Amino acid sequence: MTAPAEQIAVDLERQREVVSALRTFLPESAVLFAQEDVKPYECDGLTAYRQVPMVVALPETEEQVCRILKECHARKVPVVARGAGTGLSGGALPLGNGVLLSLAKFMRIVQMDVRSRTARVQPGVRNLAISDAASPLGLYYAPDPSSQIACSIGGNVAENSGGIHCLKYGLTVHNILKLRVATIEGDIVEIGADALDAPGYDLLALMTGSEGMLGVVTEVTVRLLPKPEYAQVVMASFDDLAKAGEAVASVIATGIVPAGFEMMDQAATRAVEGFVQAGYRTDVAAVLLCESDGTREEVADDIRRIQEVMEKSGAVQTQVSRDEPERLRFWAGRKAAFPAAGAISPDYYCMDGTIPKKRLGEVLRRITAMEEKYGLRCANVFHAGDGNLHPLILYDANEPGAFARTEAFGAEILELCLEVGGTITGEHGVGVEKINQMCAQFSSAELAVFHAVKWAFDQEGLLNPGKAVPTLRRCVEYGRMHVHAGQEKFRSRFKVQGSRFKVQGSRFKVQGSRFKVQGSSNIGRPMNTKFPTLNFEPGTLNTEHRTRNIEH
Amino acid sequence: MTLSAIHRARPRDPLPEALLGELRARLGDRLATSAAAREQHGKDESAHPITPPDAVAFPTSTAEVAEIARLCARDGVPMIAFGVGTSVEGHVLAIHGGVCLDLSRMNRVLAVHVDDLDARVEAGVTRKQLNRHLHGSGLFFPIDPGADATIGGMAATRASGTNAVRYGTMRENVLGLTVVLADGRVIHTGGRARKSSAGYDLTRLFVGSEGTLGIITEITLRLHPQPEAVSAAVCAFPTVDAAVRTVIQTIQLGVPIARCELLDTLTVQAVNRYSKLSLREAPMLFMEFHGTPAGVEEQARTVQELAKELGGMDFEWATQQEDRNRLWQARHDAYLACRQVRPGSRAFTTDVCVPISRLAECIAATNEDITRASMPVALFGHVGDGNFHLVIPIDETRPADLEEAEAINRRVVSRALEMGGTCTGEHGVGIGKLDYLDAEHGDAMSVMRSLKEALDPRNLLNPGKVIRVRDS
Ligand SMILES: Cc1cc2nc3c(=O)[nH]c(=O)nc-3n(C[C@H](O)[C@H](O)[C@H](O)COP(=O)(O)OP(=O)(O)OC[C@H]3O[C@@H](n4cnc5c(N)ncnc54)[C@H](O)[C@@H]3O)c2cc1C
Ligand SMILES: Cc1cc2nc3c(=O)[nH]c(=O)nc-3n(C[C@H](O)[C@H](O)[C@H](O)COP(=O)(O)OP(=O)(O)OC[C@H]3O[C@@H](n4cnc5c(N)ncnc54)[C@H](O)[C@@H]3O)c2cc1C
Repeated sequence: MTAPAEQIAVDLERQREVVSALRTFLPESAVLFAQEDVKPYECDGLTAYRQVPMVVALPETEEQVCRILKECHARKVPVVARGAGTGLSGGALPLGNGVLLSLAKFMRIVQMDVRSRTARVQPGVRNLAISDAASPLGLYYAPDPSSQIACSIGGNVAENSGGIHCLKYGLTVHNILKLRVATIEGDIVEIGADALDAPGYDLLALMTGSEGMLGVVTEVTVRLLPKPEYAQVVMASFDDLAKAGEAVASVIATGIVPAGFEMMDQAATRAVEGFVQAGYRTDVAAVLLCESDGTREEVADDIRRIQEVMEKSGAVQTQVSRDEPERLRFWAGRKAAFPAAGAISPDYYCMDGTIPKKRLGEVLRRITAMEEKYGLRCANVFHAGDGNLHPLILYDANEPGAFARTEAFGAEILELCLEVGGTITGEHGVGVEKINQMCAQFSSAELAVFHAVKWAFDQEGLLNPGKAVPTLRRCVEYGRMHVHAGQEKFRSRFKVQGSRFKVQGSRFKVQGSRFKVQGSSNIGRPMNTKFPTLNFEPGTLNTEHRTRNIEH
Repeated sequence: MTLSAIHRARPRDPLPEALLGELRARLGDRLATSAAAREQHGKDESAHPITPPDAVAFPTSTAEVAEIARLCARDGVPMIAFGVGTSVEGHVLAIHGGVCLDLSRMNRVLAVHVDDLDARVEAGVTRKQLNRHLHGSGLFFPIDPGADATIGGMAATRASGTNAVRYGTMRENVLGLTVVLADGRVIHTGGRARKSSAGYDLTRLFVGSEGTLGIITEITLRLHPQPEAVSAAVCAFPTVDAAVRTVIQTIQLGVPIARCELLDTLTVQAVNRYSKLSLREAPMLFMEFHGTPAGVEEQARTVQELAKELGGMDFEWATQQEDRNRLWQARHDAYLACRQVRPGSRAFTTDVCVPISRLAECIAATNEDITRASMPVALFGHVGDGNFHLVIPIDETRPADLEEAEAINRRVVSRALEMGGTCTGEHGVGIGKLDYLDAEHGDAMSVMRSLKEALDPRNLLNPGKVIRVRDS
């Protein structure tokens, strides 16, 4: 990200061609191409990567979406869907030779059904708007990413987003029933069912988290839940990170499934307290928030036990929210953690990885050591219940070299996540940000299956190319780069090297030929089709080094 | 496709001698070609006619499965994964011949992580075996199809059970898989992390793929803590409708009921006879509540009140573990019990699922079909999920029976589809539901077909099931 891919110059002739094709059915105001008009779309929440799109299309109807896709498909123009652009991994980063398809105008809640407790909504509807609309009916939509005021449900589906409450109520994939999806050919496919199970392959799960690479979501049917009768939160302060980590494991081991379970380290609580005064102690090493919801009896039972376990685990103080305003105040701090980081530092870089809960103390200790090594501060917030860590590395982009150090720091954190048996992304997706690390997390056979899936939806690779799933050639080059560098392999995979970004830049140009590497395999090569051979040079992918979470 | 059509002889090539030789060299007596072994692996628990594979292999490791797959792929021979054959839609029938891979000898529990609430098992471990293994750990694995199925088979059919209403189905409880692909390569999907947003969700793609996309050899499962308090209850109702309405209101109130099963009068009679119980012969709900002692009491009270308003009678508690076990074993055996309603018959089952808001209407209409039927048809199911079954006992010597059963099935399925439901709530597609899938999915079918083509280009994995590729 120090030297993000050079901006690709727009091919003016092609631009004219695409604009006039789209204007045959879209009003002028819905097809943007002038520099000042497309500039606002040049990045998402990962601002270090920027690229102005060739054209921005702002359709209003599903039919228009299909037409746009048909036109692009016919002309082999790549398409990137965009919701609210709050993604943190560059998933909605435009292509200089492509169309950015914004779903911002799809703001309608189509139907609320109290009896079946579902809502049918358009993809551009904001996450929080669904709960707001359901509130008078006593219902809400459970997944609540911290960005919920802004992010769209379509983006949530594409990223399989989670939030504070997903420990008990699941991620997006657990809370949606049906999707309408426009394929790259411009056809509408309905997947999922109103009922519990849909037979055949689980396309709903496949679409969820696919980062806009399999289809464009045009409608989402979400499950709504009755608002719990009552909720309370325990705030526990610890003078030792390891003890806090133990406490998390101990609470989970009781069998209680907290409605939310979050941790902040001292750097985070200090940042937050300066920002919103949530009432956190800033003289302790960590603060845990653990919520229970349900009927009054259940909540009372749970809260008593949670408090007991926290105390036994060595909490220096525990406090139970006395009323609703206090409960909301306790959470307000956690929810404002990112903006708070923004307030104490000119820039911050939000990491996203998962670790086994038991390793938390150790991981945080090692991150502290890295702070010294890189000369940068890091605040940690943690979806403790499901092991999802968000280190926020604080830096100043104007300071020469600071960003390079930040990125190296981040890469080392991800490496650490893999080393202790976690993954490189918990909920923010791969996008462009972590595409190289995918080569480390997955073997060539696994990547081949990803490509086979991609092929089944999008044979020509026109939907959001270059994101989420690296081509095998890219991995080969990536692997070779590091092998050639002659360093210890595991470590080196995460080294930030200038050449990496060269690869990235050229990525956009090598459509079509990108699969052509040698070797042979069956998978992913249907008969009688023009599916490019998903091949690789045997032995060049150092799959034996990837650390996966399989223990015996 | 009708059962009779499945009977139609299909072209199949004999296994190449060289392949048999190579398999035998590797597996020794773990390769069976006897008629008995083949027949045993060519049938399931349904009325589908026996269709044996050409050979049965009993691999004991992922590496062996991979090796067998490589050899079969080389020679273009179909491969059919087999758990214990309790599926009911013709899933395991070798309609194109080939090698059956019986995974029941891969039956080790590889790891249990009590702190992280997960376990890793080989595909041949059965659900009861796993729960015996977990005994004393404070954890359990909730998914309980009526049969003691293998975890591999359950993952492959996306099985559910009596407590899906609270704990979900295999979809929610499988965290990761080891899968052997059509060409023998091995992949790992998912992992122990509760969240990961890296790459497409391959775990859920293979869950429910019925052996048509890959052979599952290991599974990482989510476990659940034993609830502090459990109590079960039965309640009789004047009508099926009253029972169903009680369930709907319970769900709509958000009561986290753990199990909620409906049995119609005929089913209750059958169960009484089969499991030697003395339940009142009326439509019944079997229920179970999990939670803290106070929570359980409160849930039970709420449901009891709802039931009373709708005419529920004899609300009876089973608090002793043995009583509960007997009750649920009887529910699990309901399918077998109903089959015996008509001695000598084979069972034709339907398995539909509708949104809970349409359940009362759907069951009422189905009841009319039942009244009109010429044979005694039983209705029961996991109504808390909107899922229910019919068991239609057919006399194999009477073609008219089969036709009638198929007609009832068609009516029930198309009704469910009209109501926004699905043609299979939990038993899967196999061959039995192949035709309905098109009606239900329309365009999505072509995507599914492309997926099958991309992952199994030569259609070697359980060909002819779930999806029709070219001439299968
Ligand atoms: C302050 C802050 C806090 C955050 N907190 C969380 C959190 O707690 N949990 C969490 O999971 N994430 C969090 N995020 C990340 C982000 O908000 C989520 O990933 C969100 O789901 C993105 O939604 P969006 O509408 O902004 O999508 P965009 O950023 O516009 O797009 C994201 C991806 O989805 C694709 N896409 C968008 N719409 C569609 C569609 N209709 N069809 C197909 N593909 C589509 C895009 O191509 C892109 O790949 C946070 C972000 C910020 C800035
Ligand atoms: C009395 C009775 C009650 C039942 N109740 C229920 C119920 O409540 N809920 C429910 O969901 N089902 C129920 N079933 C159906 C059946 O038990 C389930 O479908 C079960 O999951 C099948 O498991 P199995 O091990 O017997 O698999 P099999 O029948 O051997 O195989 C089923 C399918 O899975 C494939 N398969 C098996 N193992 C693997 C593997 N390792 N890798 C890849 N593919 C594999 C096979 O190829 C086949 O397509 C019931 C059946 C009976 C007889």
